[in-house]
Amino acid sequence: MLFPPASGVGVTGGFIIKAPKVIRLLRKGCTNRPFYHIVVAVSGNHQSRPVIEQLGTYDPMPNEQNERLVSLNFERISYWIGNGVTFSTPTAQLLGLAGYLPIHPTSYISAWRNRQKLEEEKAKELEISEQKEANASQ
Amino acid sequence: MLAVFRKLNLAGISLESINNSYVNLQSIRWRKPRCVPTAKSKRFRVPQTPILPEDEQIEIKRLFNNYRNHLKSVRRYLINKHSKIEETTHDPEELLKIINQDFERCSAINDKWNAEQKILREQRIAKQLEDDIKFAKQRIELELEKEQQSLERVEEIVRKQKEASVDFITAENIDKAIDQALAQETDYNFAVDINGEKLHGRETRPEKSEKKVALKQ
Repeated sequence: MLFPPASGVGVTGGFIIKAPKVIRLLRKGCTNRPFYHIVVAVSGNHQSRPVIEQLGTYDPMPNEQNERLVSLNFERISYWIGNGVTFSTPTAQLLGLAGYLPIHPTSYISAWRNRQKLEEEKAKELEISEQKEANASQ
Repeated sequence: MLAVFRKLNLAGISLESINNSYVNLQSIRWRKPRCVPTAKSKRFRVPQTPILPEDEQIEIKRLFNNYRNHLKSVRRYLINKHSKIEETTHDPEELLKIINQDFERCSAINDKWNAEQKILREQRIAKQLEDDIKFAKQRIELELEKEQQSLERVEEIVRKQKEASVDFITAENIDKAIDQALAQETDYNFAVDINGEKLHGRETRPEKSEKKVALKQ
C-alpha cells in the first residue's frame, strides 16, 4: 500500500459523491508537537484514511513571534460548504476567528470564562495586597 | 491485554510493524481498541455534569441560535453560488429530452444484447432439436429390437407346444386312449416293510422269509 497524498485524493467513485462529508482538523504532528491539516473527508472515515482534499493548515503552538499560524483556502471552503459539507467545532471556531463565518459561540464562552478567571485572580491579588498593607500599618 | 497494548504504545511499536513482511509501513495514531474494557481506576467514576447559572444558559442558547441563523444564511448564499445540484436544469422540456436521450442509449444497448442473445438462442434450439431427433431414432431402433426378441420368444414357445401336441388326446383318438387306459390297470397303493422296501398294490404279499435259526443252546 502506498502513502496517499496528504493534500487529498480528490472525489473518486460513486460512493464518495453522495456520502456525507465534513471539514475537520487532521492531526499531523508527532508526540508533543501537534500540527493540523484542515481537510474535507467522508464524515465516518477513520483519521488514517486518505482525505478528499486539503483546505489549509493550523499550527496550534505559538511561534517565535507568539503567533499561531492558520492557512485557509477560502475558495475551496466556499465551494465545499456550497455543496453541503458540515464542519467540526474547532474548524468553525477557526473560520469564525478568521472572519469568514460568524464567530462561534464557544469562542465567546471561552473568552468570557477567561476574563472571569483573570478578574477573580486580580481580585484575589488585590485582597492579599490590601491585607499586607493593613498588617504593615498595624 | 491493555497492558500489552500500552507497552507497545510506549515503545512506539505499532501492531503492523511487528510483522516484517509489510513493505510500506504506515503508522496509525494509537487508540484504545474497543475490545479493551474500562480502566480499573475509572470503572466507578461518575462524570460530573457542569451546572451553569441560568443567565449564562440563556445567553449561550441565544448565541447558538444566532450563530445557527447566520450560518444558515451563509450556507444558503454559498449553495446558490456553488452547488452542483442547483446547477442542474429544472426545465421540464429539457429534462424530457435528457430522459429520452438516456432511454435511447439504454434501448440501443438492450437491442444489441437482444440480437446477440437471439443468435445464441437459435443455435441452442437447433442443436436441441437435432439431439431430440437423434434420441427418438435411437429409441425406435431399441423398441423394434425388443419387439423382435419377444416375437422370437413367443415363436419358440409355440414350436415347443406343437412338438408336444403329438401325444395329446383328441376327439379322434379318445376311444383308443380309453381302451389303452382300461387295459393297463395301475394300482398306486403301496406299503413299506421293516427294511424300507415298497410293496406295490393292495394284494401283494411279502415273500416268505427263511426260517429263523434258534441261537439258544
